[in-house]
Amino acid sequence: MPLWAMLCLLAVILLGAMLASLTLGYRVYGLDQVLAALTAFDSSEAHVVIANLRLPRALMAPVVGAGLGMAGVLVQTLSRNRIASPDTLGLNAGAAFAVVLASTVLGVSSMVGLSLASALGALLTALLVFGIAATAGGLSPIRIVLVGVTIAGLFHALVEVILTTNEAQLQQLLFWLAGAFVDRPMALVANGAPIMLVGALLAASLARALDALQADDTTAHGLGVPLGLIRAVAFLAISLLTGAAVAMAGPVSFVGLVVPHAARRLVGLRHGRQLAAAALLGAIYATLADVLARFVIFPGEAPVGAVTAVVGGVVLLALLMRRAA
Amino acid sequence: MKPAVKLAQLSRGMGALIGIAAVFVVLALAGVAFGSTWIPIDQVAGVILGGGDKTQQIIILQLRLPRVVAAILAGGAMGVAGYLLQKITRNTLASPGVLGVIDGAALGVVLFLALLSDESNALVTSIAWQPVAAAIGALTAIALVFILSGRQASSAIRLLLFGIAIAAVAKAITMVMMLVGPIYRTSQAARWIAGAVNEVNWGEIQITAIALVPVMALVFLAARKLPPADLDEVSARGVGLNLPLFRIAIFVLSAVLTALAVAFVGGIGFIGLMAPHLARLLVGRSITIGILGSFLVGAVMLVGADLIVRVLFAPLEVPAGTVTAVIGTPYFLFLLMRKGRTHG
Repeated sequence: MPLWAMLCLLAVILLGAMLASLTLGYRVYGLDQVLAALTAFDSSEAHVVIANLRLPRALMAPVVGAGLGMAGVLVQTLSRNRIASPDTLGLNAGAAFAVVLASTVLGVSSMVGLSLASALGALLTALLVFGIAATAGGLSPIRIVLVGVTIAGLFHALVEVILTTNEAQLQQLLFWLAGAFVDRPMALVANGAPIMLVGALLAASLARALDALQADDTTAHGLGVPLGLIRAVAFLAISLLTGAAVAMAGPVSFVGLVVPHAARRLVGLRHGRQLAAAALLGAIYATLADVLARFVIFPGEAPVGAVTAVVGGVVLLALLMRRAA
Repeated sequence: MKPAVKLAQLSRGMGALIGIAAVFVVLALAGVAFGSTWIPIDQVAGVILGGGDKTQQIIILQLRLPRVVAAILAGGAMGVAGYLLQKITRNTLASPGVLGVIDGAALGVVLFLALLSDESNALVTSIAWQPVAAAIGALTAIALVFILSGRQASSAIRLLLFGIAIAAVAKAITMVMMLVGPIYRTSQAARWIAGAVNEVNWGEIQITAIALVPVMALVFLAARKLPPADLDEVSARGVGLNLPLFRIAIFVLSAVLTALAVAFVGGIGFIGLMAPHLARLLVGRSITIGILGSFLVGAVMLVGADLIVRVLFAPLEVPAGTVTAVIGTPYFLFLLMRKGRTHG
């Protein structure tokens, strides 16, 4: 299948997933009701639910999923490691810690402020993990992941300390910390999307350089790729993508681990197409996981992060068993 | 090895063991004495022996002693579980935490509470089954880790990744179960996320202690058959040790020990990693003394961690597991980096 056809097909599937996200849930609505709520809002219960509750998450899930999917591609290429991802390297946890710290200790409440804190947290964590890896004299892929996971655990512990000292926010934050698209205001999507877009553009601008970087440093250097600059920009892009995603929805786990594998299978190793496919696949994955999260403990609602964590954990096991890493 | 040398080593180990025991007693007494009101050590001893006034009796016997005793039992059990795992996998990075045993046990407990509670949030069965549920979860987790990793289990680091993946899945399901069940009360939830000793009561301690005695007896029985040095599989078979079955027995024991610790205290990370290291460093390589040392060091660590959170965050109750994680993480990273250098 040619690339454009593949991407069109994915876009159609994404549209279907978003419609499913609008219609399915505790109450099931028809497409006509969805259409009416979006075009001729009449404050009936159905319209309020669709426009105020379903629509924000139907828009947020794809944005977050796309960001994490692209971040996953960048991380895996940069570390030449098929089991690396924003989660397994601890970036999600670092971003989450930064958000909790900023909102409880520093009193930051604006979405822009939290997004920046979140991106900064992801960036510092990335530098820390790669720094430790570099000082230890080139850690194997597996060892980098162990470092990342361990640091993620540390951040979880620190978040725990902050949460127990601010009990009022515990309940609310507990759900957010699992990763969720529920009850997010539309403004969050509107504020987070531009940051995501900047990250995506940066990532896209790196596509050709990443193709060269894929093999090894010497080859890339021989091809005239400015390694330091490319790495720095890639780190920035990863931080913006992960940071915005975490600020919007909390650390939705393992999306960045799973999606790049699927993207590579569909479109191959070239980074331009890989990033495009990862964005669409990530969007589809997050949206469908969000729909699924409404039904696993029906009538209650599970955090979408729990759903993606189970799927991602199983995929990680499969990768390990196939010795992909 | 000459008998005299061995004896000297043994007595050095005993000496260190007595030193650890002394630290342990002091810390345990401090754990009881310290709190929102300071109670002098001599009065603590008086109350424990049956004296003291009414207020002191309530504070010590109902509030402080349970958490100290719970910390001793849970920390000790974790220490021994870690010792056994490190010994049998010949992997100094192994511990109940990274092998998914802690999260498996926590999932067992949360499933038990969620499925066997009625509408009014009361258990429909005896709480004594809670450690059994934890043990089933722990055993399932460790069995999955070893079955899925297959021959890759011989690689120290790869084994850990399988453990981490299993732990991630178990943790996610635990999260969902906490939201599903009536146990979703945030104060209790913290226990299953980070591990805390502050809500344990005497009934729970009794169950743990009763279960711990036979398990520890089995551990000491099995210890005599643990390979004296770090034997590889072939030489172990050469001296008549039936490894596969024996290994499974040791894994089961360490899973049960972990489950007993997790059942009422929640997942406390890194004690199972650090306590055996410290114990080996202090008391040497003798196995029986190593097990005792791991128990005491583990107990000291958890009692100490609980003291630290009480001092730093009073009057708030921060889970003790956060302290062990904050101390344990850099230590684990250090081990990883050192291994990275020595083994390429």
